[in-house]
Order: sequence, then C-alpha cells, then structure tokens
Amino acid sequence: MDFTHDDNQRMLFDTVDRFLSDKHDLATRAKLHKDPGAEAALWREMAELGLIGAAFTEDVGGFASSSADAMIIMERFGRHLVTQPLLYTAIICGRLLTDGLSGAARAEAIGAVIAGERQLALAAGSTHLLRSPEDTSFTARKDGAGWVLDGRMPVVMNGDRADQFIVAARTAGSSGERDGVSLFMVDAGAAGMSRRRFRTIDAFGAAELVVEYVAVGQENLLGPVDGGVPLIDVALDHGVVAICNEAIGSMDYLIPATAEYTRTRIQYGAPLAKFQVLQHRMADMYIQTEMARSIALVAAMSLDGDAAERQRMASAAKAQVARAGKFVGYQATQLHGGMGVSEELDIGHHYIRLNVIGQLFGDTSFHLRRFGALAETAAAA
Amino acid sequence: MDLLIDDKVTALRAELRAFFAENLPAEYARKTLAGEKLTKDEHIHWHSLLRPKGWHVPLWPKEHGGPGWGPMERLIWEEESGLAGAPRLNHVSQDLLGPVLIEFGTPEQKAELLPRILSSEDWWCQGFSEPQAGSDLANLQMRAVRDGDDYVVTGTKLWTSYAHLCNKIFCLVRTSAEGPKQAGISFLLIDMEQPGVTVSPIYTLGGMHAVNEVQVEDVRVPVTNLVGREGGAWDITKFLLGNERLMGAWIGINMALARQVRARLEQVGPDGRKRSANAVLAQRVAEAETDLLALRYTTYRVLADELSGKAPGPEVSVIKVRGGEIMQSLSELLMEMAEAEGMVHPLTLPHEGPPIVPLEVEHMAQQFFDRRKLTIYGGSAEIQRNIIARRLLNV
Repeated sequence: MDFTHDDNQRMLFDTVDRFLSDKHDLATRAKLHKDPGAEAALWREMAELGLIGAAFTEDVGGFASSSADAMIIMERFGRHLVTQPLLYTAIICGRLLTDGLSGAARAEAIGAVIAGERQLALAAGSTHLLRSPEDTSFTARKDGAGWVLDGRMPVVMNGDRADQFIVAARTAGSSGERDGVSLFMVDAGAAGMSRRRFRTIDAFGAAELVVEYVAVGQENLLGPVDGGVPLIDVALDHGVVAICNEAIGSMDYLIPATAEYTRTRIQYGAPLAKFQVLQHRMADMYIQTEMARSIALVAAMSLDGDAAERQRMASAAKAQVARAGKFVGYQATQLHGGMGVSEELDIGHHYIRLNVIGQLFGDTSFHLRRFGALAETAAAA
Repeated sequence: MDLLIDDKVTALRAELRAFFAENLPAEYARKTLAGEKLTKDEHIHWHSLLRPKGWHVPLWPKEHGGPGWGPMERLIWEEESGLAGAPRLNHVSQDLLGPVLIEFGTPEQKAELLPRILSSEDWWCQGFSEPQAGSDLANLQMRAVRDGDDYVVTGTKLWTSYAHLCNKIFCLVRTSAEGPKQAGISFLLIDMEQPGVTVSPIYTLGGMHAVNEVQVEDVRVPVTNLVGREGGAWDITKFLLGNERLMGAWIGINMALARQVRARLEQVGPDGRKRSANAVLAQRVAEAETDLLALRYTTYRVLADELSGKAPGPEVSVIKVRGGEIMQSLSELLMEMAEAEGMVHPLTLPHEGPPIVPLEVEHMAQQFFDRRKLTIYGGSAEIQRNIIARRLLNV
C-alpha cells in the first residue's frame, strides 16, 4: 500500500495550492459571491490550469491517471474554502457524462466541461440533500418519439450557474422505485425551464428549478431509459469521496490555526494553550482527523475498482468524516471564542461547510445503514 | 418531594395562555418561532401590549410597574412566553439593568430611568466584553478618568448585543488601576447619542447582525451616572448575572423548539414515509426530549432551593452548559429534518414570487449556526466547568 502522492499528484497539489493562495483569500471569496462575472472568470482560469481536466481520466479526454487525482484538488479546495463547482460540474455530472454517454456525444460534452465552457447541475433526489435518486421531483410523459418533462425542485446545487441540467425524471413506476428513473440533459435556456437563484448557508450557489412542459427527445437522454438510478449512485459515490477529502483539507487547516490562536490569546494571565483541557481538546481534534484521513484516502483509491468496495469505502469514509468534521469544526470555533463565530475569520466558514458536508449526499445514519446493508450482502454471498 | 404544581401555578399558566391567544399578533409569533427578526417598532408594539400587566418587566416589583412576581411565576412566564413564540428583545433593559437600578440606583436615577425603560423610550445595551477581556472580564481596559463633575471615558466594547438598536449603554469601566483588578471597576451609564460614541457592526455566522463593536472616545459622562459607588461594579455585576441565572436554560424557547422537532418528526418526508419511521432519527429526537425534561426539572430543583431560602450557587453552571447544548441539538435536528430546504441562506433568497422553501424552514440553518455562540458567550462552557470543578468539587 502506498499512501503518498506520486510526482504528478504532488505537482497537482502544489499547483492548486499556489493558485488558491494567490487568488482566493477570504475577502476575495466574499467578493466572488456577489459577482457572477468574477466567479466565471475564476472558473475559466481553473480550466486553463487544467484543474477541471484533472477530474476526468485520460481515456475520456481528461488529464487524470485515476479518479483519485480530483480528490487531491478537493482537499486543497477544502483548505481554501473554495465554492467553485468542480464537485457538481466535473466530479458528479462529469461522471454521469463518462458513464452515460459514448462516442462523439461524450467527447463533445466532456470537452466543453474541461474547457470551462459548460457548467452542469444534477436535479435529482427530490428535497433530499442529493441522495436517494429513486425519489424524484420530475415526471417524463411519453409524447411521440420523445417525452414531456414537468416538475419543480426547490434546491438544485450549482443550478444558479448551470448551462445544462441533468434532470432525473420518472418515466415508469412510482416514486421510491429504483427502476423507472431516466436522465435527460436539458439546456437551461430551453423553453419551459426557469430558475430562481440563491445560495446555501455554506455560500455555494443553487437555484430553484421549475420545469414546465419541456419537450425532450432521444438526443437528450443520458444513459438507458428507466436506468438512471444506478448511474447516479456511482456519481454520488464520487461526490461523497470528493467532499470527504474536501473536509480533510478543511480540518488540516483548522487544527494548526486553532493551536496558533490558543498560543497567542492571553486570558487569566496565560496563553489559552497552557490550559491542559484545551491541549487535550486539540489532541482529540488531531486524532479524529487522522482517522478520517486514512479512510478518505482509501475511499479515493477505491473509486475506480470493484463496485461493492467503492460503495463500502465511500460510506465508511462519509460516516467517519462527518463525525470528525463536526467535532473539529465545533471545537475550532469554541476555542476561538467570539472570533470563531465572526464572519471576519475563516474559522466559522469552515465550521459551516464541515457541517453541511456532514449532511450532503446522505448523513451519517444513511451511510451507516448502507454500510451495514453492504456488509450483510457480502456475508450472505 | 413536591413538583411545585399548585393551583396558583396552574391558574397563571392558564391566564398567560389566554392572554397570548388573544393578544400576541400571529405574525410576531410566527416570525419568532421561525427565527426571523422583528423590527424594533414591532418589539415596542408588543411591549405596549404587555405594559398594562407589567409583564414586559417580569422581574420588577409592583411599585415600579412590574408584576411583583416571585421566582416561580417568572419561570412559568419564561416557559409560556417561549412556547407561545412571544418576541423578546429589550431584555437587557428590562431584566438586567432595571433590577440593578431598583437595587443600587439613586432615587434620581430610578425616577428618571425606570419609566423610560417601561415605556420603551430607552433601549440599553450591555458594555461588558472587550477585545482583551472575554472570559477574563476583570482584565477590562475601558478607562474612566475623573475630571471635575465628569468622567472622561475612552475604550472599546466588543460583542455588544443590539447596540445598533440602542440609545444607551451601561459599561464596566476602569476607574482605578490600583489594588486587585476587580476593585478598580465601576458601573457607568452612558448616553450613546453623542459625539465620541461609534457603533460598528460585527457580522456573525449566517450573515447575522446582532453584535457590535462600540468605541467610546473622550466622552464626558456626569458623575451622577455612576451606579453604586466608584469601584463597586463587581458586586453589581454579580447581582446582575444572578438575575440571569435561570435564563441560561432557555427553557421556554427550548420547549418551543422541541415541539417543532416532534411535529416535523411526525410529518411525511420526501421519501413518502413518516420521518419517525427512521429509527435512528426517532431515537435522536427522543434523546433530545429527555435531555430537555432533565434540564427542566434541574431548573425546577434550583428554583425549589431558592424558594426554600437557599441562595442559588454554582449549580447554575450546570443549567447554563446544558441549556446551550440542548438548544444546539434541537436546532440541528430541525435543520437536518428539513434536508435540502433547511440549507438555504435566508439573506440570499429572492423576494419576488412564492417562497422557494416553506417560510418555517427559511431560517433553520442560519439559526443553527447562530446558536453556535450559546456555549461561547456569557461565560464559555469551559468557564462553567471550571466553576463546577472549583466551587462544587473543590478541585
């Protein structure tokens, strides 16, 4: 087993870190959230740097040797609190393009994403935080050779910037059934598509998507008819592992930042760091982070292998990371006192993102249940 | 053993419930329960509805315009007003400064200032914390130098709640650098509507603006604005915090949150099943409910001691720690059960058209992250544990 980065991965890590250190401090980040033009410009720069291409493997036109490469970028994104939608456009929707399309259509779609010219959003999973794709908000009614889509989803991540939506609509069966969900690629500007933009509490972009009598044909279909759920399952596993690694980058930052703060903050005539109860708290933050890091790394290395192993490791990582992230975020804010909850410092923003990561793509109880079910299946085999 | 549920208590509960049902505007209750802010005018309007009964100043004796309640009645008020979703904002004036003036103020101070609190003319904020004096309050640096009949005051107060809505501030100021730190601190009333006083907002998690920085530069304050004697602020502060002692349980608000949590658990989720079908979630909710019951009866026990004449002691720290933690877990459950809809940032939602998410969930994430402060301010969870260890366990 080798847990160290190879030369290319180390270079990727350094490139991303340098880029973000130069271009993405907390003040710049706040400005980005008020300036769509600046956000789009930063995305194009990331594309030029090859960061979006690093989320695709070489066989589909990307620059990555394996799916683990993108996890290195996500880790650095976590460190720098990046809200750019690499996760949604490239890792999750990119996986759907890779698995659901083929030939020229796939090359065109992935090419546009890698070039930074096309943003994507996945409209699936009802009002869940992107899990359980068997629950849908959209229906697809057969109409001649095509379908007519209808429905409304209140929170579509990256829906604010998407040029194209991947809409999970029910073509057969009823809500909650794994069969009968089909994926359609629909241009944001298509007749009958409308959205209202906002942000989630962690400052990521989102939109309400309303789909009214939108006509689609075979050419819009992504993957097999009625067979969308297994595709989304894979894509969300990639998403899960991506945010696990993002969380590691965030925790890696919070621990030394908290230690430094306690060394300099004097109360009762001594630095806070002198209080043993706080030393132990920080040691616990470190212990939890190391446990989470191990499983997040293994989950990243399991993405391209056996399906059952990928699922097992993704769920194990999510459960561990969610717990560690909540603890580390909570304690980092606690030890920073009032400064920890001020928007002026990045500490509180990390705390928010770590909590959202805990909920995103299935919370701890969801993933522990899934891990348990997979273990049961394996034992029965 | 006696659970303190006598006819008097039952009658008061019924009276309060009837009053809220008849007088509390539904929109105020909805906003309060959903974590939305009311305007200052709405708060003043609500205070005006309570004024005939004196219930907006639940700690004040009858002679000064309050209801003349004892500790038991006040706790019932806490529970019932929280459950009803009654807004609460000017409590620094009503519950903190008012009783201080009644106990320590000069006849002139009482005559001038108490009626202005009753009428909502004055909104006071509390100037305690400073950049270098958080948990270690005795380290405060704001200077008040005697010059003739005035003090000249200079310094910075931090984390001052609602200073941007207030016209007056009471400050702990350093009047002497000699002797023990605590002995050089005085309690001074300062008019904020004058040159030299600058209020700057501090934005906290979720874009909230509740706290501020208040800078005071060479402001002349008449010596008659001193409360108690010069250097006597420490005892006044202890008295003031003592009046807040059971509030740390947030008992009424926690009960209202628990009611919302239970209601959402019994609703059908996006998967078409009742949320209570999720055994893990159902167990977490039940755990939070039993935590709250334990907190409530711990509060009652402290109260029973108080009614039997025993002064409340450091066991209040137990209530403060748990009150904050329980509110954090209840808020977290509410946010989590709302799933994607519970994650929206309320300040970024478009105003035109129908609401994107149900109104009652718009502020859930903001509320959860804002409540992060509960175990930090007013003596952090660590300070409370120090108090328990030192004063109760003698270690």
